[in-house]
Amino acid sequence: MLRGAAATCVVASLGLVATNVGASPKATGPTLVVYSAQGYDKAAVAAFNKTNPGFNVTLNDNSTGPLLQQIQAEGHNPKWGILWVDGATAFAALDQQHMLATHIVPKANFNAVGKANIPADGSYVPVSMTATGALVYDSAQIKPSQLPKTWAQLATSKYAHDLGMNDPTQSGPTYPLIAGLMNYLGHYKSGSTASAIKAGEAYLAKLKRLGLVINATNGPTIGAIQAHTIKMAIVQSSAGYGQEISSLPSLRVAYLTPVTALPGVIGIDRLMPQAVQNEARKFVAWVLSPAGQHVMKTGDPQGDSLFWPVLNGESASNKVIPPIASVPMQTINPYVWGPLETSINNWFTANVNNG
Amino acid sequence: MTTELTATPSPVTAPPVVGAAPPTPRARRRWSGGTIVLWLILTVLIIAPVGCFILLATSPRLFNQGSQYFTLAYIEQTLRGSTLRGILNSLWVSSVVAVLAVSIATTLAWLVQRTNVWGRRVWPFLMWVLLLVPTWMMTLGWGDLLQPYGAASAAGINTHFLYGEFFGPTGIIIVLTTAAVPFAYFIVAAGLQGLGSEFEDAARIHGAGRLAVLRTVLPIVAPALLSALAISFAETMSDFGVAFTLGYHSNFPMATYALFNAISNYPANFSVAAVIAIVLIASTIPPIMLQSRVTRRRSYAVLSGRTRIARRHELRPWARVGATMGIGLVFFVGLGGPLLGSVLGSFVKNLGIYSSGVHLTTAYYTQVLHPSIADKSLGSPLVLSNQLGVVVATATGVLGFFLARRLVSNVGGWGQRVTDVFLLGSVAVPGVVLGVGYIFFYNLGLIAHDLINLYKTLPLLMLALVANSLPGQTRFMAGPVAQLQPSLGDAARVHGATRWRAWRTTSLPLVSRVLLWGWLLTFTKTIAELAIVQILYPPSQEPASVSIQSYLGNYELGTGTAMTVITMVEMLLVIGLALALYRALAPRGWRRIGWTGVES
Repeated sequence: MLRGAAATCVVASLGLVATNVGASPKATGPTLVVYSAQGYDKAAVAAFNKTNPGFNVTLNDNSTGPLLQQIQAEGHNPKWGILWVDGATAFAALDQQHMLATHIVPKANFNAVGKANIPADGSYVPVSMTATGALVYDSAQIKPSQLPKTWAQLATSKYAHDLGMNDPTQSGPTYPLIAGLMNYLGHYKSGSTASAIKAGEAYLAKLKRLGLVINATNGPTIGAIQAHTIKMAIVQSSAGYGQEISSLPSLRVAYLTPVTALPGVIGIDRLMPQAVQNEARKFVAWVLSPAGQHVMKTGDPQGDSLFWPVLNGESASNKVIPPIASVPMQTINPYVWGPLETSINNWFTANVNNG
Repeated sequence: MTTELTATPSPVTAPPVVGAAPPTPRARRRWSGGTIVLWLILTVLIIAPVGCFILLATSPRLFNQGSQYFTLAYIEQTLRGSTLRGILNSLWVSSVVAVLAVSIATTLAWLVQRTNVWGRRVWPFLMWVLLLVPTWMMTLGWGDLLQPYGAASAAGINTHFLYGEFFGPTGIIIVLTTAAVPFAYFIVAAGLQGLGSEFEDAARIHGAGRLAVLRTVLPIVAPALLSALAISFAETMSDFGVAFTLGYHSNFPMATYALFNAISNYPANFSVAAVIAIVLIASTIPPIMLQSRVTRRRSYAVLSGRTRIARRHELRPWARVGATMGIGLVFFVGLGGPLLGSVLGSFVKNLGIYSSGVHLTTAYYTQVLHPSIADKSLGSPLVLSNQLGVVVATATGVLGFFLARRLVSNVGGWGQRVTDVFLLGSVAVPGVVLGVGYIFFYNLGLIAHDLINLYKTLPLLMLALVANSLPGQTRFMAGPVAQLQPSLGDAARVHGATRWRAWRTTSLPLVSRVLLWGWLLTFTKTIAELAIVQILYPPSQEPASVSIQSYLGNYELGTGTAMTVITMVEMLLVIGLALALYRALAPRGWRRIGWTGVES
């Protein structure tokens, strides 16, 4: 009797599980799929669906690398409607392959930093801003007065074995940091990038000789500061602020001149049906609305929410973030530096990471 | 001493596949309907997606990943620099790990089965648990334990030296060996089970010392040892968890990491990744060939109606203590250390951060319920992962059993060798290759528009997870299935039973526990799987491994570790529940004899 009842329970449970797991979310109308690497993306998609009845936006939440892999493998039969990640270089590459819808920038009150990051063809939209190459340091180990004032001073023996950074092949914001360094050190304006690359490579090689510590991503790099293996690191600004307000209050963020702008960017898939593209445009407009900005600023309070708004009238989510005007920020041309990513990363792997 | 020469390989001493039951007349029909259906299923699950991926090695244009329809440039590009170094590292590490794993597994199996070592009922159970723990969890746990200001440090133990050693080739070999030991153990243990004491006695009577006895007896179980070597080698070649964590941090590139690296940049270089995948698959051919060559040269049949149960050696007290401690050490490295690290780490505030004291906290567990990232709790992802686990484990169990039966019913033929290479080659395929291969195949216009549009749906994710588990599961079941005497079923049929009833009343009782443990193996593997799930999960239906990864990747290590611990505890509860249900539901006779080919 007992055995029979238990067997019935098992069979019923298996059937229930199979039925539930086979069911997909209820879909009405066009289905916009957002491919996003932002910490607040789940909150944003949920809020958008809630405030826009009839929409059923779904989310593929992943790191930037796997998302771009999937987009490339999907090729001419894409499933993504929106790509939302940090850094414009991948968007420039997608635009050059004619994979992005153009002129998608909605009417919004962009500030100067926002405007500086809008491409001429309007193929992607900056919706937030962080800086890469921010000097994150532990004030318990090194005083602000002891910090380097310039990039040149950072590459001196005074800071030997004190500095860490991420591996550009693993950490999305690190290639823009390296490209920004090359852009600055080579005084790049236009034309050939050869001398700028050479200047950047020489600088990174010098840092390596001075004991630069490479870790895969922000986590272990800041972990190395926290474990007193190093005293400071050049990483994304939001990563530094996130740890300052959570686990390591003695962590601070400083900015050498210049750091590189790393916009949070949205692009729309050109190959999607027009109905889906229209839905995507509504989503972008909502993200830039006060409601959208609020969700972005509150969805991941110790992580990606720690950005500078790109809209006038909006303020940063936390007082720990200084006014954007006080940050010496440069914007690099993603259409120039984007296509060089693989070769520069390969050089880094061979000469800095394994060198 | 020579082994008995017979025409029939033994079903028991032989490893999975080699040395199975004699072919039946039905098995001699090479292309039966069942075979065709089976290969069609394998094509849909594995051959077509992986085939699409590896085609990219020479024909990137076929999938719009380059301009060439045929090129060898990517082969040349792969076989140099750090990629070549990664491949060579993987080859020598996998070889060393395979030898170490088989040596340790053989020693353990002998101690547990043939001596009076303490805990003889506990060790095989722990071996099962070890089999279920993925390498990334092992590495994460050891990292939490040994890192500066980590869990051991919080307990007042200085682990600085160990940490340096662990994050290097030594740590890589240790973790991979402990992960490979269970695979080798269950094969070797099954082989030793059929080996009575008479061979040892005969050797001793002829004046052999301990070493000479070993030299005499071990070759008798050579098929099992070679099979264990092959599976350990293939599992190690395909491992990504260790390559990505320990390998990366110690600047020790391995093939799976090189593959990941090739596709982690944008644009991804799928062609180089495809060449590496081919190397991984091809690397399993030599072990299979060696196994095949050795087992064809002579018979290893030692089991007969006169086989006697082996006698246990009574170890002297000090030897008994030493042997028990040695076994305990193996399990401490594989299970105890990582578990201790993870559990302690999840209760220490700011693990890994320089501080003057240790502060315990339950905050990370609170954050699992009330996450710092909005709408990213573990609840519904874990429920979904469990649902996936149930469906995938059940489907894999059914398919694996039928495939195992096919495999062992065609002993010695080309079909069996091809199937064996195919299965072991599939074991060596990393999850990321399968995941991306699924995109290339199932998102083809021909398939998605004209046949069935499955990409980014739960059914496709399930198919991929079944494909990921099926090769290992089949090889796992092939040994026990090979031991089933066809005469049992024939007798039942003669007495009027239908085919289903004959199977249910004769075979099922004999393999019931194997099926149960196989189910649990796939269930836990499915919950812990990340690479495939990350690529193929349907939008807005995020499984647990993706949620945990988003916290670990966001440097919320405390919350990520607490989530890992909760997931592990939940998996153990399911194992306990499944075993309890088996006990409650299975007839007493099943429980007594359902251990065929597997002990616990």
